[in-house]
Amino acid sequence: MTALLTVSDVVTSYGKIMALRGVSLRAQKGQVTCLLGPNGAGKTTLMMTISGLIKPQAGSIRFLDRNIAGASASSIVKAGMALVPENRLVFRDMSVMENMDAGAITRRDRDKVAEDRERLLQRFPRLRERSKQQAGTLSGGEQQMLAIARALMSNPTLLMMDEPSVGLAPLVVQEIFEVIAELKKDGVSIFLVEQNVHMALKVADHFYLMDHGRIAFDGAPDAIAEDEVISRAYLGERREAH
Amino acid sequence: MLVDLVQNTIEGLANGSAYALIALGFTLIFGVVGRLNLAYGATIMIGLYAGIFVHAEWQAGWMVVAATTLLGSVAAGIYVERLCFAPMRQGAAITAMVASFAIWMQLEEVATLGLPRHSYPFPPLVTGPAIEIGPFLLRREHLFMLVVALVVMVALEWLVRASRFGLALRAIAENPRAARFVGHNVERSLFLAFMLASAVGGVAGWLIASTDQQVTAMFGMWATFKGLVAAMLGGLGSLSGAVIGGLLLGVVEAYALWTFGPQVRDLSAYLILFLLLVLRPGGLLGQVHALRDADTRRRL
Repeated sequence: MTALLTVSDVVTSYGKIMALRGVSLRAQKGQVTCLLGPNGAGKTTLMMTISGLIKPQAGSIRFLDRNIAGASASSIVKAGMALVPENRLVFRDMSVMENMDAGAITRRDRDKVAEDRERLLQRFPRLRERSKQQAGTLSGGEQQMLAIARALMSNPTLLMMDEPSVGLAPLVVQEIFEVIAELKKDGVSIFLVEQNVHMALKVADHFYLMDHGRIAFDGAPDAIAEDEVISRAYLGERREAH
Repeated sequence: MLVDLVQNTIEGLANGSAYALIALGFTLIFGVVGRLNLAYGATIMIGLYAGIFVHAEWQAGWMVVAATTLLGSVAAGIYVERLCFAPMRQGAAITAMVASFAIWMQLEEVATLGLPRHSYPFPPLVTGPAIEIGPFLLRREHLFMLVVALVVMVALEWLVRASRFGLALRAIAENPRAARFVGHNVERSLFLAFMLASAVGGVAGWLIASTDQQVTAMFGMWATFKGLVAAMLGGLGSLSGAVIGGLLLGVVEAYALWTFGPQVRDLSAYLILFLLLVLRPGGLLGQVHALRDADTRRRL
């Protein structure tokens, strides 16, 4: 099996606070790799470090056989990695269509961009209905779909998703995970950070548990029972707060 | 009476189109970066002084002078961006503004040390007698300036609304963090926007100077004040607002001059600015709601 993304011993600090204390993990091609863990474990920091938004102090990040540790965010998007950021962060004052075009800003192949836009509007019919509407007027679930579509507009090899279910109603969460499962079926590789352990384990091929800036456990979703994962991730033994 | 009114309106619109051109550059920078560039007038002044220099030293014609003015403004604009805005992108907006004030003073000193006379001649572009329309007189230069202001406005509006570069600028203006997340090269776009604004300033300065046929050391201060007042009247960040604000400022000043004399002229500008800020704090076409966005608030 080929690893799309290989993170080795990555250390990231905010000033004196070390958020990542040597993190190593892999994301395989065609799979959904899931990262679970409590708030403050360093999940978002890891996402931002991989996406080039924060520079790591040490360690290497290999993506498609290229070391991208310290590379700029735009060059990483160009290389084929797209981020669906936490809290969606759609451009609220811009139309749905413009949001999608903003996701393709790194691309030069205009004809293919138009094709991809059409394909995505087919996949997300509600976005087509609202293509002229300002993104700020969409519901939370629609904004999440838009954030996913915007990321897919860069035609990524690996889609990074940071807590796509956060703040959404259960039915909408279900819908988001259906989209993730469909994307996986289409061969999109996904790296997913989630709080919703139950849903995440259903869709994941492999998962990592993160705590205090380190990987605490990793395995296939059926390696241990779900409540065991939950207790390890959220109720487990805690060292004193930093 | 009516003839006077119309003639004064014409004069006002003429001066106002100069204000409008300067305000366009101001508002472009503010709209994208969310910060005030107080060194903007001084940036234009450096361009003009470069133009004066080639004119005085080598008797360069208007074309060379225009090109030198434009290049000088852009070069000074890059200098301001690198020094005040690029390194302080993460910091508070006020830091960049104060830094730009320091650079304003510095640029003005450099210009007046290099060319110390109070005023220098500037080659005219359009000459010939004023156009007579019935009892009214309209200077050709003024007509030209008004047309250029409108053309620049339409071109910028198109660039921002319809081009790829404009899409990137709007994304960055609305949420720089999200723009970075989806792969936008924020630094490069802001740098290009700054260069563009400086080029617009260069065009504005060149048109104004070739109409006045002279440049004084006060140009930087004059341009910053008039441009800022005009941009705020129209609503900072709005391109059409900059033009409307500029024309409005010109007309109000012309009426004040006509009714009360030259002392009241500048006073009237600040008076309408004050009134507008009390009644409509975002300016005529401004978007106060931009401040509601959490990310913008953090950035300001």
